[in-house]
Amino acid sequence: MVETGIPKLDEFLGGGIPKGKSLVFYSQPGVEGEIFGLQTVHQTLKKGGICVFVVSSTIPDIVKGQFKEFGWDINLYKDKLFFVDSYNPLIGAPSNEKYVILNPDNIEDFNKTIIDIIKELPPSTIVFGSLSTIMDLCGEKETIETVRTWNKMAMLYDHVLVYNFTAWPYSEETLNLIKGDLFNSVISIGGIAERVIFGQYFGILKSDWAQITRKSMLFRVLRPGGVKIFIPKILVTGPFDAGKSTFVHALSTRAISVDRLGTTIAMDHGHVDYKGFSADIFGTPGQERFDPIIKLLSSESMGVFLVVDSTNPSDFIRAKQMLDITKSYGLPYVVVANKQDLPGALTPEEIREQFHLPDDVPIVPAVAKDKIGVYEAFEVLIDRITGGI
Amino acid sequence: MSDYAIGIKELDDAIGGIRKGSNIMLIGPPMSGKEAILNYIMYHGAVENENAVITVTTRESAAHILDWFKENMLNLPMERIGIIDCVTKTLGGAAIENENIKIASSPVDLTGIGVKISQFFEEFFMKKNTQKIQLHINSLSTILMYSNIQTVFRFLHVFTGRIKAASALGIYVIESGMHDEQAVATLKQLFDGMIEIKSEEDKNFIRVVGISQKPTPWFEYEIQGYNIKIIRGN
Repeated sequence: MVETGIPKLDEFLGGGIPKGKSLVFYSQPGVEGEIFGLQTVHQTLKKGGICVFVVSSTIPDIVKGQFKEFGWDINLYKDKLFFVDSYNPLIGAPSNEKYVILNPDNIEDFNKTIIDIIKELPPSTIVFGSLSTIMDLCGEKETIETVRTWNKMAMLYDHVLVYNFTAWPYSEETLNLIKGDLFNSVISIGGIAERVIFGQYFGILKSDWAQITRKSMLFRVLRPGGVKIFIPKILVTGPFDAGKSTFVHALSTRAISVDRLGTTIAMDHGHVDYKGFSADIFGTPGQERFDPIIKLLSSESMGVFLVVDSTNPSDFIRAKQMLDITKSYGLPYVVVANKQDLPGALTPEEIREQFHLPDDVPIVPAVAKDKIGVYEAFEVLIDRITGGI
Repeated sequence: MSDYAIGIKELDDAIGGIRKGSNIMLIGPPMSGKEAILNYIMYHGAVENENAVITVTTRESAAHILDWFKENMLNLPMERIGIIDCVTKTLGGAAIENENIKIASSPVDLTGIGVKISQFFEEFFMKKNTQKIQLHINSLSTILMYSNIQTVFRFLHVFTGRIKAASALGIYVIESGMHDEQAVATLKQLFDGMIEIKSEEDKNFIRVVGISQKPTPWFEYEIQGYNIKIIRGN
């Protein structure tokens, strides 16, 4: 098994990537997917393996510098790490590397070198720094057919092939092949966006050797350090007595509240594990004098539940004000129309109208005390946060 | 009050400002002062309109750009400035990232450039709470030297879309006469309008096309220090 060194990912893959298998890191543009390939290189070397890194979009010296930024000393493994340089020839500069692709816009040139490497070296990990760059230069169809050959050859010679791929808007056919049958495993790396990308996650789309865990992990990239998992924070806010604490407790596997005489004065805190997504839930107090706490809590959140009492339209102005405090940070949000069981409760559509909410803001009807609608709301918000994986 | 402006009064008056989410091509022949105009738009956007400005530079180092402002005695509000330097590293220079400067590994590394753009967007939008952001790419022509037109089109397709989603403004510099007509026409599909520059008999002219109903007239301009001075419209 070759480990990626990415926390949780090796566990999800059943220990790592078996010999002879291929894996692609399929990244949405703008998210830090390239580190996944680098970390796999470093982990392979650390475990005593041999590694080949195919550099296509910059000079190999810069890639060596990137390892250093992450705090990984590749000089320790000089005789076990080889670079394939396809960038210097592109800009007409000389190369010092052992393997050089003289015509980087010719897939045959690539093919010859990679096949030689596959035949020459003992079982190794071969990492492509940017499959998309190769595809851009050599053509989509040509590259895909050649990659197919490499993956077959790797199987025969017991190598592990790892590709970084940026999912630019290529033809649907190309993208489907890459997500589909071209590789043994596909790891999707995406961004959480609401106007701008503000969080990153990875998850397994496909793996033909491990039972797939439908889990997405949020991560950050640290220099030094590499990929680190982090647990997102989700905010629950809303006017006084809308049922925020009840909602937090209904949703959480465990929860505590800091309150006095039954009303929350500092916050509620809970933790939820649901459908492979885990998150910390923070409930804010509803009274105006605690507004600074909302600001404080929302600064690092990934999304917001706005809980409203469906029977109490007079509170909607306050609800909107509270939303504005959190929304000033541009977070995705879902409105939870609570207390739907009480007489006089407005329907979600009536609430949308009274609230002047845009059509694309989800409103989920709920009865928090009976746990009705709470998981639905969670799923809708996670969907909003991840853009639906 | 419109969302974004060029900063040259005569042009802004003629077009009535630029809508948020717009993507604009700045096109002109070599040596016609595109760099000075872009710097001027950057300065005006950051200082007068208090926008954040992200500049992707593939021609000059980040240090060089900042020096230009220093030489012209202009104080940039650095908390709203982000530069993505795609030059320094490939030239083997010492390239250190800081709050204002991020380093991309080369003009070919569109994936890396994209990551840096997204990071600046997040920093300005989420952390510094600056809602209005300008993204300047100088220039597409350099990027086109290393990557083919389809590749650049895909890259721009993604980022012009992000500009719209973020209600930002995108300005993309391109050299006229350097690429075949068809390449420029392909890229034009992605833009809402263009700032066009031409040189005739040692005189430079500028106009804006596509933002207002009709193209603005050609304005003759001169570069005086950092200032873009309109001499007359014709």
